[in-house]
This record gives sequence, C-alpha cells and structure tokens, in this order.
Amino acid sequence: MGNFTLESKAVLDGFDRDWNGTRLRELTEMAAVAVSVPKDGATALNKKLKTAYGSNAPAAGESFVGKGDARVMSFAVDQFMILFEHTAHSGVPAIEKKLGNTGYYVEQTNNWVFLELSGPLARAALERVCPVNTQADKFPVDRAERTNMEHMGAVLCRTGEDTFLIMSASSTAGSFLHALETSVEYVS
Amino acid sequence: MSQEMRLNGGLVDRSQTISFSWNGKTMQGYQGDTLASALLANGVKLVGRSFKYHRPRGIFSAGSEEPNALVHLRKGAYQEPNTRATVAELFEGLEATSQNHKGTLEFDILAMNDLVSPFLSAGFYYKTFMWPRAFWEKVYEPFIRSAAGLGKLSGEADPDVYDKGFLHCDVLVIGSGPAGLSAALAAGRSGAQVLLCDEDNVFGGRLNAETFEVGGVSGAEWARNAVAELEAMDNVRIMNRTTVYGAFDHGIYGALERKTDHLRSANGKPRNIAWKIYSGRAILCAGATERSIAFGNNDRPGVMLAGSVRAYANRWGVATGKSIAVFTNNDDGWHTASDLVAAGANVAAVIDSREIEPLMNIAGASITMGAGVCDTAGRKALKGITLTNGQTLDVDCLAVAGGWSPNVHLTCHQRGRPAWREDIAAFVPGGDLPPGMSVAGSANGTYGTGACLAEGRAAANAAVKELGFTASRKGADKAEDEAANITAYWHVKESTKRAWVDLQNDVTSKDVKQAEQEGFRSVEHLKRYTTMGMATDQGKTANVLGLAIMAEARGKSIPETGTTIFRPPYSPVPMGALAGRAKGKSFQPYRLTPSDKWARENGASFVESGPWLRAEWYVKGDEKGWRDSVDREVIETRKSVGICDVTTLGKIDIQGKDAANLLNMAYANGFAKLAVGKTRYGIMLREDGICMDDGTTARLGENHFVMTTTTVNAVAIYRHLDFIRQCLYPDWDVHIMSVTDSWAQYAVAGPNSRNLLRKVVDAEFDISNEAFRFMGCADITVCGGIPARLFRISFSGELAYEIAVPSRYGDSMIRVLHEAGEEFDVVPYGLEALSVMRIEKGHAVASELTGQTTAQNLGMGRMISKKKDCIGNTLSERAYMNRDEIWNLVGLQPVDKSMKLDGGSHFINKGDEPTMDTDLGWMTSVAYSPTLGHHIGLGFVKAGSSRMGDVIRAWDGIRKKDVEVEIVSAHFFDPEGERLRG
Repeated sequence: MGNFTLESKAVLDGFDRDWNGTRLRELTEMAAVAVSVPKDGATALNKKLKTAYGSNAPAAGESFVGKGDARVMSFAVDQFMILFEHTAHSGVPAIEKKLGNTGYYVEQTNNWVFLELSGPLARAALERVCPVNTQADKFPVDRAERTNMEHMGAVLCRTGEDTFLIMSASSTAGSFLHALETSVEYVS
Repeated sequence: MSQEMRLNGGLVDRSQTISFSWNGKTMQGYQGDTLASALLANGVKLVGRSFKYHRPRGIFSAGSEEPNALVHLRKGAYQEPNTRATVAELFEGLEATSQNHKGTLEFDILAMNDLVSPFLSAGFYYKTFMWPRAFWEKVYEPFIRSAAGLGKLSGEADPDVYDKGFLHCDVLVIGSGPAGLSAALAAGRSGAQVLLCDEDNVFGGRLNAETFEVGGVSGAEWARNAVAELEAMDNVRIMNRTTVYGAFDHGIYGALERKTDHLRSANGKPRNIAWKIYSGRAILCAGATERSIAFGNNDRPGVMLAGSVRAYANRWGVATGKSIAVFTNNDDGWHTASDLVAAGANVAAVIDSREIEPLMNIAGASITMGAGVCDTAGRKALKGITLTNGQTLDVDCLAVAGGWSPNVHLTCHQRGRPAWREDIAAFVPGGDLPPGMSVAGSANGTYGTGACLAEGRAAANAAVKELGFTASRKGADKAEDEAANITAYWHVKESTKRAWVDLQNDVTSKDVKQAEQEGFRSVEHLKRYTTMGMATDQGKTANVLGLAIMAEARGKSIPETGTTIFRPPYSPVPMGALAGRAKGKSFQPYRLTPSDKWARENGASFVESGPWLRAEWYVKGDEKGWRDSVDREVIETRKSVGICDVTTLGKIDIQGKDAANLLNMAYANGFAKLAVGKTRYGIMLREDGICMDDGTTARLGENHFVMTTTTVNAVAIYRHLDFIRQCLYPDWDVHIMSVTDSWAQYAVAGPNSRNLLRKVVDAEFDISNEAFRFMGCADITVCGGIPARLFRISFSGELAYEIAVPSRYGDSMIRVLHEAGEEFDVVPYGLEALSVMRIEKGHAVASELTGQTTAQNLGMGRMISKKKDCIGNTLSERAYMNRDEIWNLVGLQPVDKSMKLDGGSHFINKGDEPTMDTDLGWMTSVAYSPTLGHHIGLGFVKAGSSRMGDVIRAWDGIRKKDVEVEIVSAHFFDPEGERLRG
C-alpha cells in the first residue's frame, strides 16, 4: 500500500454569507444517520431512543432536540433521521453505540448538504423557492417537512424563531445554494 | 402644454412633479398619476391607432379594462409593448411612445385601411388571400405579418429578472374596494390568516374614484383607515400592484405582483413575481366594469366611459374635456355629471335614453331624456355629437354610461357559467363557483356602497366560520346605497354609421349582425369569427354589448343566446413573469459528481445524463476531435488501466430480514442464495414481462444489500421497490434508502487495476485474485482507515473494480487514484469510452432496454427463474414473447470494414425492398472499436441467434445509407471472459 491520504471536502466549501443579519451557511460538521424501525421493533427502539435522546421517535413531520444537541427528525411512519455534530468518517458507529441493534442504520452524512438560513429575511427568501407555509404558527419550531425547491428535493426544519435547517441532495448542492442565494439576494 | 386640464382636488400629490415623455415630447404630471391621467391632464387626446382600421383612438377607461390606450413603455431592450396607459404608474423619466402605426401617430399611412373597410369586415381573412396560390407566402403572409399585431417587441433579450413564489392564507380577498376591505377587516378580526390583493397601487378600488361617504368620512379616507387597521394586524398581509389572474384547483390562485414597474430602475431585483397562492377560502371582490353603448363613430378620441371620466376628475384631478356631455341609460351616468360639476368641470349636456323624469339638475347642462347619440364629429379628437332628435352639440368629451358588468372572470376559471340578471342588465356569477370561493360586492351584482360593505363582511364571516374561526361581531361601517336603476339600451338603432362594439379588435355592431347572418350564431362562434373579446382586454367592455346585439339579431333573449366564459389570465401576464427566474444558471438544477472539479481541470467534456453532468471524454494534448480522445482512452485502459467516474449510478441501500425476499421479487433471477460478500447481475421485469432495468446488487451482510441501478432509472427503480415493499408486501421487514449521493464511485479497469488499487486499499484487505474473486464485494478501508466499498465487477470486460468512498472524499480519491496510477500510465476515461468498451463486450444499456424489449430479446430469457415468483414472470411466458422468430440481440460488423455503421438503421435481407414487411429489426448501438480497428454494432435481428454469419443490409432511409453487415456474436471482445476473471 502506498502512502496516500484522503482529505475530506465540504460539498460547498463551507459557504457562509451574511446579508445584514440574514445569514446562509453550510453546516460542515454535521452527521446524519437514517434509522429504520424493524417490523415489530418499535418498542425496543423507542426504549433505547428515550434513554439516549430523551424521547420516543417523533411523528412524521416532527423533530426534537435530544441529549447532546442531536436532532431527531421524522418524515415517515417507520423511519427517522438523527443529526448530530460529528467529524468522524461515519456517524453510524456512534448511533449503533447508543441504539444497539434495535434499528437499521444507513449513513446519510454524505447524501445531503446541510444549510442554515437565519435572520429577518429568512421567511421572505423561502417564500420564493419553497411551497411550505413557514408562517410562525403554521410551522412551529421543530416542525420538519419534506418539500422541494426549484425542482430539487429538500427537507425544511424550523430550528429557531427565524432559523431554518435546510437539507438537499449533495449532488445538486451547487444548484441548491444558487437557488437559496438568489432568493435572499432578491428579497434583500 | 402644462397640465391645462387639471382640476382642483384629487388624490395626486401636487408637491411632487414628475417629468415624462410622450412620443419624445417632455410633459409633467404628479406623483400618483397614471400615464393616462397625466396625458389627459396635458390635453393629449390621441394616444393610439386601432387594430384593423388604424382609426385614431384615445383613452377610453381608467383601469385594466382599457382597450385603446396601449403603448410602448421604456426604451431599448427594456421596451414593453401593449402596456395599458391607464394602469401604468407615472415615474420620473418614463418614456412612453404610441404603437401600431406606420408613419407618425398623427399621420398613419395604414389609416387607408379605413377607406377600404367594407372589404375588411368580420371574417374577411377567411374569404380572401385564396388566390393566386403563389402569393400565399411571398405577398400575403409578409404583408399580413407586417400589418398585424399591436406593439413591437424590442427584438433584444429581456434584461429584467423575474421571480415566482408561494403564499399561504386562510382567506384570500381579491380586490380592495368597499366589499374587499370590509371582507378583509372582518376576516382579519377573526384571527384568520388573511391575504388581500389588489391590482391597483392604491387600495380602495372605486372608493378612490367616488365622492361617497363611508362611516362619516370620504370613501378614500375610509379606505386609508381600513388599510391602516389591516396593516396593524399580524395575521393580515396586504399586497397592492398584485393582480389575482387565475383560479386553479384546490384553492390555488395565481397572482402577478408588479414589484418595480412603477420605478425607473429595478436595480437588479425582480420586476414581477408570479405568486402561487394556497388559500383555504377566497372571496372575490373584483368589482365591476362599465360598458359602453354602440352608436355611430363612438370610437373617436374623447368618447369615454362615464365612470372613468368621473374617476379622472375625483381621483386624479383631471378634466377629460373642456365641454363634456354625458350619455347614459342608467342612474350612474347622473353621478358622473354631478361629480364633474362639483369638481369644476364643464358639463354641456346629459342625454338619457330613458323616458323618465330627469334625476337632478346639472348646472349649466342641457338635459335630454328619451334620446341617444347617433353620430360624432372630429377625426383625431371629438368635436361634436349628433343626437337622435337631430340636435348637435359641440363637445370634446362624451362620457358614456351603458351600465356595469360584474367582474365574474375568476368565477369562470373552473367552467363556472355566469347567470343573467335582468334587473341590473348584467351577468353575475353562476352557482358553480370554484370550490372555496364566494363573491361579494359589485362582482356579485351588488352595486350600492353600503350593500357592498355588508356583503363583504358577511362573506368573510361565513368563510372564517367554515374554517373554524370565530367571526368578529363588529358590524360593517355604514354607507348609502347609490341609485343604480338601468333600462337596457345596447345600441342606438337610429345610427347609420359604423358603431363599435369591441374597440380593441375593431368589431362593429355590423360585424356582429353579419356573423349572425352567416350562421356564426353561437357565442363561441361569434367570438372566433369576429375576434370580439380577444386580446389584452378580453372584451371586458365589449362582450355584453356584443351578446346583446347578437341576441337582438336572433330575436332571442340574452340568457337564451348565452355567454362565453373566461379563462386565465384575468389581465395580461408577461411571459417573463411566467418563466420566473428559470433562465441561465437558474434554468435547471445540475447534479455534479465529487470529481467534477478534477474532471474540469483535466480537460473533460461533459454530457447531460438526466440532471447529471458526466464527463464524456478527456481531451489530451493536441487531440483534434472526440474520436482521438475516446480511441486513446479505450486503448490505454485495455492496455494498462483507466478510471471512470460511475458515481451517477443509482445506489439503494436495502436492509431487513426480508431484504432478500424483496430482491427475489424485484429481480427476475434469484437473489435469495447470493452469498454475503458477493455481487450478482440482475434484470428486472415490469408486470407485463418487458425488461425494466438491469444492474448489480451486492450482499454486504445477511440482511443488508446495496443495489446499483442505471443512472436514468435510479428514481423509477426506487419507487418500484417502495411499491413492492409498501403495497404488495407491507408485512415484510425491509427498508430501502437512496444512497446515490452518499458515495463517490470509480470504476478502475484494465490489467493493472488490481496493482493500482493495492496502493490505496489498506493492507489488511487482501484483494488478490484468490481472496477477492470476480463478483466479490466488501466493506474495506482505504488510505489509512477511510471507509470504502469495493466491488469486483466489470462493464468494460477488463479486470475491473468499482471502488466507492464517502462522497466528501470523492475529490481527494480521484486525485489519489491518478497519483497512484502514474506508474501504470493510468488514464481517465469518459462515458463514450465506457460505451465503446461495453459494445465491444456486448453489454446492454438503455438503447437495448427500450421499454419494448424482453429478457428473451436480450438473450437473457433463461435468467427468469422458474423456481420463484417475481414481478413480470407470468406475462413473460406469453407465447408471442417466446416465438422462434423474436428479435435477438446480436453483434453486427460491416462486411467492408472501412464502412461506418449508424444507430437506428433498419435491417433487411439482401435483395429485399425496405418496407415494413421486410423489416428484420434495427441497430441499437454503434461504435468505432479501436480494439478491433473497425466499426461494430449491436442490434435486434429477427431470429438473429440462428443467423450467425449471415450477411444482411443495414438500411438507413434518413441518412440514405445502405451497408452490408454480418451477423456475429454480441461479444466482440474476450468472449470467454478471461480478462475480467484474471
């Protein structure tokens, strides 16, 4: 074997831009692991989940922030995703450590680009690309929706008063960033 | 000119003077003016030429219904034609020019059309331009194209940017007149999310054009107060300059917001935004549009709608003439006369077609009851009118009040048909409204201000209750209901001159009668034969008039005659707004592989593969054409080693106790017994037995597989698996997850591929031929602990592997692989070289899996397992699919090796004429094989498997080519597979 090393590269090179308080940035130290609930295995999985993160699996369209600031987010009846700060090569071992063999795990860290849009123009910018109703009372904090923006599949999660976590496929990250950046540009 | 026609009062801001130009002449107006009001204030009467006859035309209305005053705005690439001066807000430096004339506006050469008008009546173009035939394209078409149309496009690319967006509300209120504001207030007070849209820049609708009081203050002031209250509500959003132009399914409405049309420059921001509004309920409060009366020469500049004349005086402080006459068939005309006098304008006469007592005294005006106007005088501006009693009057403006038509348009967008109401002589919304829509105010045929306020509130309260909110108990503000009696009077029968019905399309009452005489009696035929109701105004001021005249001609009532219905858009929407931001970089998303940057640095040419951009070849040195690059890549790969990015292939992670069962059901061949650490090629069938896709699936664990699909079918296969999992076998314990973007995957192919990989794969993983056999797979690590997956599979026919690393390492991995491969003269190869090598090897791709071919056609019929059930196996057994003479996939090579082959050629036997009956099949893929030194091809030939060695013809009727080809095995290269197992 030769003496070669591989370098990790954020899909958007750690993009970070501010428009007078409205900020769009790539979250580069995020790991994501998809957890599927085995048939008849929900009870065992939820037990582990509650111990590890403080709550049962959320309902589809919901998320919660558990212990260790991990966000547990669900879009389907038998599937959820755990997002957490992580810089190792794979997030699955960390989840296996917490949940054991109670679920089926798929590494999703590299499947997605993670962006955070925050600030006073966040909603106005989203209005231009996203069909989800982000009005505060209709889309409360921790609400998560699968949606699409500019023909690209996306996940939108409200993580704060004016802060949104937005995920899309890593292969279209460049186009996705362009769509969001254009939107903020247009409303700023 | 210096705004000689200004009156006192109005809502314009006289402290802000605005300079603009009209046909190059500089003029002044005030902040709050429209181009139309400013032109009228400056005494401009002639603003355009009519569509067909090029007759002089002036401003007719004060709103979006305007048929005449269509102008060009701005200059150069920013020039926009067919803009209605009545809704164009004035701004400093606005440049406006007239359109649709040859020569100047005053001396239009095409005005000669008017002299030959008897030959240009309705439908003339259906009867003329027939002969001589030679004139069709060389004379008639150029002439008609030159003469037709209204304004001119700049011919340059539109430099403005546009956008689209999504809005949500519980209650959408369309229009902000008394009914709309009252509805918005009531809905807002309930706590519902309310969206109020109005096409005007000022909220209030007709309240800004009238002198009525509401709640003890002027209507305009009440509107401002209402807007202030709405603005203070967090749950209410109000949008001016926003036209709701269409009512679509599921409570979705389309709206156009004009963001910067009222500004000199958009400063790079979107000019227009096309909004998609999702509403729980919608209340249409779009008001009503006044219509005219048809009489002789009623199209002269200075003949206007009475309500508009009143609006110019009350809202913009402009007198539309120095001596104004009012011609009416209803009470509202009298409001115009009295308001004009109150504003200081000179009203010379009131002519009422009804034989009733005058409604009031109008100071200084002669009153004539039971008469009409039958002719007018003047050419470029009105100079006088002639009454049916023979009296002539010198006036320069005639305000015509023919009654009001509710703006029912949006109620028709889902096939709703308006109903006739005799008491107001107008069509009102029918019963079949779009779901969730209610109508209030004048749009509903309710004309009194007080009644509009009450009806708007009631509609809102009903809507919010349906949505589960508690309606506010606060009542609507009070206002008087103005008298609105009308006696239908459509046209002046005493007129002998041409009387215009549709000003925009130059349709006269004679045209309508002619349509009836020639059999075009249905309202739909009337519209299409005469063009009445078409173009930018969609007949807003004309339709009812035309229908009434048609009804009269047929001796039937208006309801019996019927009406056309409306479709979106309510008013014109620029094409740019519909396109939104979808141009340039925003036109479509692209999927890029992690090696994209490296590929660009290394001379890659890219091809679109669905949304993916894939390297098709890499130009090296002085290579002149793609063939040079592709031939080199194939030769060097077969000689030593090449690397190809195959990240784009679909990858689906499959886990669960029933994972193998899912694969067994999805694939035609068996997967249940696939050993852990092994990969298998599989084909999938549709239910009808036709081939759906192919690919490989690797078993990484007892209950863990990863499937590879073709690039283009990745999504379709994922859905197919999900359908099986969720719908056919919901009890199975199996889960799927797309991991296409998770992994950067590279094919490393060629005799030195193993040697290269040994330099990057961590030492604890033995990838020798003995330890890691053909079709093996494993989770491994590379470069000192980075997780990776290795598959020993080959599409090229060479000893080959596919190695996958987490995509964040993809850029680094491609660089490392090439660095490691330097000693082996490694080359990158693109999609084209990949295709050449797979044709040499006889592998099928989408060209062969066309959605019409079967496993039997592909020579893989025996792969369909008889030992298990799978999607498509039953119908694949149909006798027709298993005849001896079905198409077989075979190889083809030219008899004359110097000949080129073409994809799409059809095969025929030598001596046969190329017909459908003699067709033997077709060439699916072709390539120049640098390995063999000549062209080769794959194709389907009828009973081809039993015709090895036969010579047939590849006939191409399009390219006019006819090449003799020999039927050979599809496996041109290493048919025994020794290289890939080596």
